[in-house]
Amino acid sequence: MTLTVTPDTYNFVAFDTPYTARIAERMAAQLGLDDVDILIAVNENSSLTRIDIEVTGSLVTIAPHSGAMEDTRRPRQQSELNTTITMARGMLRVRDRLRGGFADAPADTELSLPQAAIWDTYIMGRIAHMDIEVNKQAWVYNFRNRHGFSDAVDVVFEKVWNLSNATWAELSALSANTLSITA
Amino acid sequence: MKKFMPVEELARDERFNQITQADRMADGRNALIADSEKSRRSNRLTPARPDASEAARALMHGIFVGEIQALEGAGRTCWDFTTGEEAPFELKLDMARQAWDEARHVEISLKLSDWMGSEIGQYAENTVLFQAACSNDPVLRLAGVNRALEGLAIDVFTTMKEFGELAGDPYLEFCEDWMLADEVTHVKMGSDWLRKITENDPERRKKALEFQGVVDKMFSYGGSRSDSEESSFAIARRFRELAGFTEDENNHIADLGMQALNERKGQLREKQAAAAN
Repeated sequence: MTLTVTPDTYNFVAFDTPYTARIAERMAAQLGLDDVDILIAVNENSSLTRIDIEVTGSLVTIAPHSGAMEDTRRPRQQSELNTTITMARGMLRVRDRLRGGFADAPADTELSLPQAAIWDTYIMGRIAHMDIEVNKQAWVYNFRNRHGFSDAVDVVFEKVWNLSNATWAELSALSANTLSITA
Repeated sequence: MKKFMPVEELARDERFNQITQADRMADGRNALIADSEKSRRSNRLTPARPDASEAARALMHGIFVGEIQALEGAGRTCWDFTTGEEAPFELKLDMARQAWDEARHVEISLKLSDWMGSEIGQYAENTVLFQAACSNDPVLRLAGVNRALEGLAIDVFTTMKEFGELAGDPYLEFCEDWMLADEVTHVKMGSDWLRKITENDPERRKKALEFQGVVDKMFSYGGSRSDSEESSFAIARRFRELAGFTEDENNHIADLGMQALNERKGQLREKQAAAAN
């Protein structure tokens, strides 16, 4: 297994590549992804919080936009917590796609907003259960924005947040059913 | 108590980290061009944006700190000027009423931030709003704070109210609607006092309106507000008209927004090209 982080130096942000690599290596080991080749390609040109994923053959590419690793209190500075969460988010999505019953999931760019939200909830719930500090309310709000603002939606959120072994078929069905309740 | 307090002396606890507009503009990263050209057609803050929740949360925090600074600005206007000689008592009474409104808005924004999942000080505080409230002429301060700053608030609250409406978020829509009504009143206070105080002093009025233009451009935040879909929020013309802005004034603000957007895009292109070389 190899883990590579690019770029080596940054023009727009004060990020540290060896530091990022240490966090990524620790997370890969923790998530059982230390048997695949991973490229972490930080997109420093964008301040968005997006994380792009690509799995081609034996190489996994995780491309976080710089906003995803940034300390929002101190713009352009790197946040250890946000870097950890971003690595965990990217790697859990990869692990789902490679091993977790997500073979039939659409490509990331083809996911509907509610589908993306329910998958994010499933990922963030598992990160929270790893004792990594997560603002749960932020993810409740994201789920509500995509599925509706009601008690029934909140019940589904709680269920997904606490899942540890779901498949894409289960998640997409839950999302569709929740949308039909609120429609 | 000290008069004419500079922006550097705003009282904040350790949760807050303050930055200036210059800090913000020094950021050469792109949130405008690449994204709007490649993967989405609009940067407007609507629930249709993939990053809608995060963007709305960040904007809500901006509103929260903006309300604190607006409270401080209105409060300073009550204190900084001598009653009667420099500012009429009735003007100060309006500013006191505005300070009361802003304090309520701070509380509302805080509760909305909890609701949306952010914490006090989670984002850097841009102090540009209070900077507009530091003028030593009360007329310029009215132009800068009540017409430019509160005018911006009308645009932002309209965007957030519509966001809540589209997302089906009853609290966001309701709260923003109520705060929007207050902001329309604040702008109208500024418009009315500006006209009244400078009734027989066209030179002072001209100076105040020029200052407002400078602040309006600054408050376009590098093109975050304009008629272009590349901007996060639009100019809320209808509510601005209710607050006393003429169509020409609204068009002028729209032009300033487009100028700011194009200048920012140019700056970003230069910075990114320099980095690529």
